[in-house]
Amino acid sequence: MPCEHYKDALIEAAATGIESQGELRSHLAACALCRAAFAEERALFSSLDAGLHVAANSEVPASLLPRVRARIAEETTATRSWATTWFALAGAAAMVVAFIAVQTVRRANVGQKPVETTKYSNPPAPLIPPRQSENPIDVPPVSGTSGPQTRVTATKGFASPEALASRNTVPEVLVPRDQEVLVARYAEQWSRRRRAPLLAENSGDTALSPMEVAPIQIAQLDVKLLAEEKAQ
Amino acid sequence: MQELVLIQPGGTARQELLREAAQADTRREFEERLVECGPLAYRVARGVLRNTTDAEDVAQEALLRAYCSFDRLRDRNRFRAWLVRISFRLALDRLRSSKRREQRDTLWSQPEHQPPAATAEDLAVSNEFQAHLDRALGELPEKLRLVLLLAAMEGHTIDEIAAMLGIPVGTVKSRIFFARKQLAEKLRCHVNITKTR
Repeated sequence: MPCEHYKDALIEAAATGIESQGELRSHLAACALCRAAFAEERALFSSLDAGLHVAANSEVPASLLPRVRARIAEETTATRSWATTWFALAGAAAMVVAFIAVQTVRRANVGQKPVETTKYSNPPAPLIPPRQSENPIDVPPVSGTSGPQTRVTATKGFASPEALASRNTVPEVLVPRDQEVLVARYAEQWSRRRRAPLLAENSGDTALSPMEVAPIQIAQLDVKLLAEEKAQ
Repeated sequence: MQELVLIQPGGTARQELLREAAQADTRREFEERLVECGPLAYRVARGVLRNTTDAEDVAQEALLRAYCSFDRLRDRNRFRAWLVRISFRLALDRLRSSKRREQRDTLWSQPEHQPPAATAEDLAVSNEFQAHLDRALGELPEKLRLVLLLAAMEGHTIDEIAAMLGIPVGTVKSRIFFARKQLAEKLRCHVNITKTR
C-alpha cells in the first residue's frame, strides 16, 4: 500500500505522464512501496490508453459508404422528380392563365371598339421593346375577331421552381415558334445591357457609320416677266 | 394554324447547364469528403451510442444531412469539425430517445477487436479488461467521452479537437485529464482483482 499522503500525487503524475518532480520524486527514491504503486498506476493508464485506442479506432462497416451514396442518389432523384412534376403543373397553370388573359383582352377590345376589327391570316406576335417597364418583354395580346385558332405548347425551357416563383425577374412570354430564338437572344441582350438594344447583331467586321446625305442642289431661278418674254 | 410556345427568355438552357455542372462539382467534392471523413462520423456515433447498428444509422443520417447542407458550408476546410458536431448531436438525440439500454449492454459486452495476447490467460484478461473499459466508458458523461475518444482516434491533436468542438484547448486538456482519472478509478479495482487470481 502506498503512503496515504502521496497517493493522489502518484495518481495525478501517472495520469499526466509527466515524470515525478520535487518532493514526490524524492519520496519515490526513498519509498519502495510508493515506487511500486507508481509503476502500477502507470501500467494501468498505459492499458487504459491502449483500450481507448481500440475502442476509438474500431473498424467501420463496409456497407456504410455505399449506403450513404445510395441515400444521396435517392434524395437527388426525389428532388428531380418533384421538380419535373412542379414544372408540368406550373406550365399547365401558365397556359391556362395566358389563355384567360388573351380571352379577356380580346373581349375588352371588342367591347371598346366594335367597328374596328383587325384580321390576321397568320397574326404574328409583335415584339415591343419596353420603355418604362422592368419586364424586358411585353407581348401584346393577339387580337382579332375571327383570327385563326392558336395552339399553345409548352417548351422544355422552364426554369427551376425558385425562378418560376420570382416572376418579376424572369417573365414568361408566348411567342410564335419561329421567333423563339430571336426572343431569347433579344432578352439576353436586354439583360446584359439594361437598355433596348438594336435587334441587329453587332458584327465586328462592319463598322456602322453615319449616313451621309448630299447637300440639296437648288438651281438658281431665273425669273422673267411675262411681258418681256412675249416681247422677245 | 399559328403555334405559340411559352418560353422563359432568360437563358434558361444555359442556366440549367450551369446549375447541373455546379451540382456535379458539389457531388464530386462531397464524395472526396465522404471517403475521408465517413469513418470519423461512424466512430463518433459509436463512441456515444456504444452500439454498432445504431452508430451506422446515425452516421448515415449525419452524412446525408451534411450532403444536403453542403452548399451552405462557407469554409469547406471546416467540414471535418462540422461533421463531428452533426454526428455527436444526432447520436445524443438517438441515445436520449432510445429505451434499449439492456440491448446495448449485451452488444457491448463482447468487444469486436482485441490487442493480440501472448497466452490464453492473457487473452481472457485483456478481453475482460476491455469489457470493463467499455462499460466504464459508457458511464462517462457524453462530453468527456467524446473528447477522450477523439483524442484516442488517430491523427487528432489537442488543437484539432478544440477546433472541431469549438472549445478552448485548456478545456480539452482538462476534460481528457478528468475522464482518464474517472476511468482509472473504475478500472483499478478490476485490475487488482485480476492480479489476485
